[in-house]
Amino acid sequence: MSSVETLSRISAIARNAFREAVRDRVLYNLVLFVLLLTAAAIFIGELSGGQERKIIVDLGLSAMLLFGVFIAIFVGVGLVYKEIERRTIYAIFAKPVGRGEFLVGKYLGLCLTLLVNVVVMGLGVSLALIYVSRGWDPLIVNLWPAVLLIYLELMILTGVALLFSSFSSPALSALLTFFVFIIGHFSADLKALSVSMGSTGARWLFGGLYYLLPNLANYSFITPTAHGHSPSPGFVGAVTLYAVVYITVILAIATLVFGRRNFK
Amino acid sequence: MNDRAKTATLALVIVIGIIATVVLSRFVDARRPPVDLTAATDESLYLNAKTARRLSLGFNGLAADWYWMRSLQYVGRKMIQQGEGAALNDLSQLDLKLLAPLLENATTLDPEFLDPYEYAAVVLPAIDVQQAIRITRKGIDANPNAWRLYQHLGYIYWQQHDYATAAEVYGRGAEIPGVPEWMQAMKARMAAEGGSRDTAREIYRHMFEQSADEKVKEMARRRLLQVDSMDQRDALRKLFAGYQTRNGRCPNNWRELEPMLRAIRAPLDASGAPLDPSGVPYVLQSGKCEVELGEASEVPIK
Repeated sequence: MSSVETLSRISAIARNAFREAVRDRVLYNLVLFVLLLTAAAIFIGELSGGQERKIIVDLGLSAMLLFGVFIAIFVGVGLVYKEIERRTIYAIFAKPVGRGEFLVGKYLGLCLTLLVNVVVMGLGVSLALIYVSRGWDPLIVNLWPAVLLIYLELMILTGVALLFSSFSSPALSALLTFFVFIIGHFSADLKALSVSMGSTGARWLFGGLYYLLPNLANYSFITPTAHGHSPSPGFVGAVTLYAVVYITVILAIATLVFGRRNFK
Repeated sequence: MNDRAKTATLALVIVIGIIATVVLSRFVDARRPPVDLTAATDESLYLNAKTARRLSLGFNGLAADWYWMRSLQYVGRKMIQQGEGAALNDLSQLDLKLLAPLLENATTLDPEFLDPYEYAAVVLPAIDVQQAIRITRKGIDANPNAWRLYQHLGYIYWQQHDYATAAEVYGRGAEIPGVPEWMQAMKARMAAEGGSRDTAREIYRHMFEQSADEKVKEMARRRLLQVDSMDQRDALRKLFAGYQTRNGRCPNNWRELEPMLRAIRAPLDASGAPLDPSGVPYVLQSGKCEVELGEASEVPIK
């Protein structure tokens, strides 16, 4: 199989996964909800003692992350399961489609859905800023690097959800992915624990967990963004590379596990 | 029953159900025992600042906003409960025991958020001056280039009549690159004449000009009115003393003083009464050689 054919098959699966997600009305509702939330931020801002802009950025980006996490987890864990449940997976694998291609295609389809989501939400937050500032607001420029970091975090989380769903039930996968999201934001504590532990075994355990679990705290740039700070290009480049490498590893493991799965 | 009849029946059930829900809610509300709102607002915080930060995941900025807005609502609700227009920098009678923990949480969750520090510096000294100093110093540690925090810390020490420390704080703030020149001047003024009325005027003028917070600006504006009014009342008392020396008694009305008031170019209303800085006529205490603020005056009494 040539690589062009592989890419073509992955692209077809991704497009289908995207179409399926778009057909799912929950996604539209979430986008609408976040836009409404952003509009509500304008009114909450009036209670904030002149801090409308900061609160709109905090609220908008936090909602973007939160709803993105829910989409990544709940849609992500169903990507493979739904095909098995409906038995459409037999029809797919009856065609010359590899299991890895199927997984990567599904993954990219959901990532495309999330991309549309974060871009629409980012535009919503930008419009809200323009509204409260009665014109152009320099925070809009700062906003987009933070949106990129949130998107990278969601891409990692989608990969984790896909990995768990490749061998587990949707409910358990969702729970485990949510745990990874929480622990991923405690990376600094894991590192501190590994340094402060007396025994070598504990040091290795926590040190290992620190490197094994995704360091999602790297992608938390909401609060500095609200103060007008932007991450440096070097930092963005490094965390993007980290996300690419981490996602590659996760998808490789998911493919290995999924490749050995028996659907009978 | 055909489809249209079914739809109409269901729509009717929905409408009647919603109306019934509203009616029942109002019925229950009317019979619910009154809640002690004061007790509810004064429950201690569930989370201390460090735990709140740890649990906030990536949402610490939003959590800080929440605590900040809660601080404002908390003070606002207490002011409404008191029912009188209390000055922002003298809320000691409101029993704002949750204000320091709320501001502590907001600033721990988002250490770059300057407004809670400013609020702590202005409002907290009347309630717990040590907490006000601690939170403002915490802000300086987290934001060493935020010269406004030095201005606020200097203000707290000035209020405590600790002019030497206030001068030192203004001096440290004046060393920050790009800081307004008056910070250095404030250091000198604080050291030389910290307790003077002119120093107070300078402090409140700069606070009014520099603050982004409308409530702080309003407080500073009213304090400036108060300082100006004190000068005016001193001038009026001098007139009373002169009048008493000449006539052997205190004036009974402003008309008796009108030529003297015009001589010092005091703004007067149609009845000849001098106007305070907020444009409200002063009240002459007949026969006592004393002057009071009018009821409608914006000038703070204390």
